[in-house]
Amino acid sequence: MSYVRKLKTAIVGGALVAALCGSFGGMAAAEDITINMAAPDWPPTRIMQDLANKEYKAKSGNNVKVVLDFIPWPDYYTRLAASLTSGEKKYNMAVSDSQWLGAFVEGGYYLKINDIIDKDPELQAIFKDLHPNLVAAYSTYPHKSKNYYGFPQMPDVLVNYYRKDIFCNDDEQKAFKEKMGYKLPCTPEEMNEVDWKMWEDFGKFFRRAKGDKLAGQTLDDDFYGIAYQAGKGYDFSSMQINGFLWQQGADIWDETKAPKAQALGVVNSDAAVKALEHYLSLLQYSPPVAKTGTMDIFKTDELFREGKLAAHIEWIGFAETTINKEMSKVADKTGFAKMPGTKGADGKMSRWSNIGGQPFILTTWTEGATQTEAIEFVKWWLSTPVQTKFAQAGGQSGLKSVFSSAEYNSYRPWNHAFGPSLDWQKDVWHIPEFFELLVQQQEEFDKAITGQQNAKQALDNIAAFQDKTLREAGQIK
Amino acid sequence: MSAIATTKPNIIERFFARHRGPLLVSPAILVLVAMNIFPLFWSFGLSFYKYRANRQAEPVFVWFDNYIKILSDPVVWSRFQTTAIFVAVSVLLQLIVGFLLAVLFEKQFPGRRVLLMLVLTPMMLSFVAVGAFFRYYYEPTFGLLSQAIKAITGEPFIVLQSPIGAIGAIIFADVWMWSPFVMLLVLAGLVSVPKHLYEAAEIDRVSWWRRFRTITFPYIRGLLLLAVLFRTIETFKLFDAVFLITEGGPGTSTETIAVYVYRVAFQYFRTSESAALGYILLFVVVVLTNLYLFFVQRRAKET
Repeated sequence: MSYVRKLKTAIVGGALVAALCGSFGGMAAAEDITINMAAPDWPPTRIMQDLANKEYKAKSGNNVKVVLDFIPWPDYYTRLAASLTSGEKKYNMAVSDSQWLGAFVEGGYYLKINDIIDKDPELQAIFKDLHPNLVAAYSTYPHKSKNYYGFPQMPDVLVNYYRKDIFCNDDEQKAFKEKMGYKLPCTPEEMNEVDWKMWEDFGKFFRRAKGDKLAGQTLDDDFYGIAYQAGKGYDFSSMQINGFLWQQGADIWDETKAPKAQALGVVNSDAAVKALEHYLSLLQYSPPVAKTGTMDIFKTDELFREGKLAAHIEWIGFAETTINKEMSKVADKTGFAKMPGTKGADGKMSRWSNIGGQPFILTTWTEGATQTEAIEFVKWWLSTPVQTKFAQAGGQSGLKSVFSSAEYNSYRPWNHAFGPSLDWQKDVWHIPEFFELLVQQQEEFDKAITGQQNAKQALDNIAAFQDKTLREAGQIK
Repeated sequence: MSAIATTKPNIIERFFARHRGPLLVSPAILVLVAMNIFPLFWSFGLSFYKYRANRQAEPVFVWFDNYIKILSDPVVWSRFQTTAIFVAVSVLLQLIVGFLLAVLFEKQFPGRRVLLMLVLTPMMLSFVAVGAFFRYYYEPTFGLLSQAIKAITGEPFIVLQSPIGAIGAIIFADVWMWSPFVMLLVLAGLVSVPKHLYEAAEIDRVSWWRRFRTITFPYIRGLLLLAVLFRTIETFKLFDAVFLITEGGPGTSTETIAVYVYRVAFQYFRTSESAALGYILLFVVVVLTNLYLFFVQRRAKET
């Protein structure tokens, strides 16, 4: 073999070896990583899974799969709690209600993310772009401290869903003006200015019996004016009642001022009693299921989609199904506006409401490459282009750069009510005793809703229980 | 001469041959220990500690504190009272309805087989399906019951509004689901009565009541007791129907002890207290079972 030929053979052979090494080397470097995430089964998480399946590619080159374990909402807390506390370490991430932070942080299940944020300018930029009320609610434990645990998965607020076809009907407009002495709101702009007094008028005005006329049609069943959550389960009355309390100058036990903050005299203050009485008084205009203590967020959603209600207050998370023709009889008849507020003596509207939505968290056993990839996924999810796509598909974004953009309101008919509502959001307790307080409070509210006791008795019982429980836990001294 | 090799079994083969029986059942026993016995003892040990699954603090041994706390808690006794109401009324109604159904199905009539199958369906359904069905059944806006009554009275019927209505609604659902079980047991007893006894009684012109007391009842007594035992134990643990239909409401009026155990364990995260409460429930069930065995043995001695 000539020298040149030998050289050529050596070069080709070397190149072949180098190519093989390179390709195998590359294959060895690309890891298969699966991020298992517990998620409630509803549109915001389904959209996230779709977007992740279609578009997420890890920058590292690893084959990262984000697998959401969809669990029905009513079972979600139980299933997640059982998984975390059993030690099975099934989930790397989980969508979590903000109120669970204390319980699961103290249990050692939710990962503190301060160090991760401190090292990552991209995450710091994301946190700067998030609405501060969302960061306080979704990320911090103790509440409003500088200890961070969660990233917003989807922020949510309560808004007013109303029947445009009925509210804007000429006959109804005329009849309402004659009866109530003012114009029946029709456009979202008009509806945004509704207070609870007007809401009550809707309740009175739109109560119709079978055979009555409604917007020119003869009703084949009873029709009701208004509804909001009044269910015994989970937080399905507290979330609405807290809005009434805050709007009317009352308060819940303030954990950010523990251990000095008191429950007695605060939770059952005169203002709180008045606010709860107001909440209870409006239930008479709701469908009869309100009297059973089972009118939760799922029930009002169902009643509205079945065309039994003129208006109801609901989380935005349900809006996508409301405008889906396959799932709703009122898909093309629904308008959206801000939740009613309370007008003060000065004429200014107080709009406080309890925040909804959820953060997602990393579990403490998610380490190494899986943790790195999970953080990368969070950064992808909270990037402006992906959040824009999420909003276009029916989700909500907590990024100011997204929800403040000129196009945001055009994505969905409820978006105009979302951004301005964020300034008025507060959250309920984040402490580990959260569930004990919530269950007892829900029981007492339920007794008031079903007529077994009045507002004062309910709040006195709640205040006494909270005082005892929080003292035992060292939260009140 | 053919050389038949008579090899001596080695030590492993001898071991397997000698312990074949225990070796065959050992996998089942291992599963039983891992899935039942170990968790049972573990949770029993846990009931003597102060421990919460949502805290990182180490468990602290507190002797009988959890048991004392539970037994002196008025909430626990109130939940026991609610449970006792469910057990007493529901089991009694199941026995009556089950017995009447068994008497009906003891006779042959056209369509019996199809009807029997339909009657047995409720007990074959899942608890969740039954709970969801009755939640809609009682729903005052769309619900069947409310619509039917509204057609007569003009007003929707809101059965779940009052504590008595809610308790009645859950008992109705439980009776609907489990009466067929009682019927099956009683029917097995009824068909086992020798026909010649009835024929003899008829010749003697014995009254219906005496015939039932002296011929029928002795044959079904053991099975009735079995039905009472099974249904008492099951109703004592009633959770699904309550949680799905009323969530324990209105207020706490339908919250049974089983629902309360769930709250203590998975909502309040008082893990060791819930273990202690679970053992108190187990104790009650064991007492009920022994009572049953006592009656059965006494009957056996009598006969």
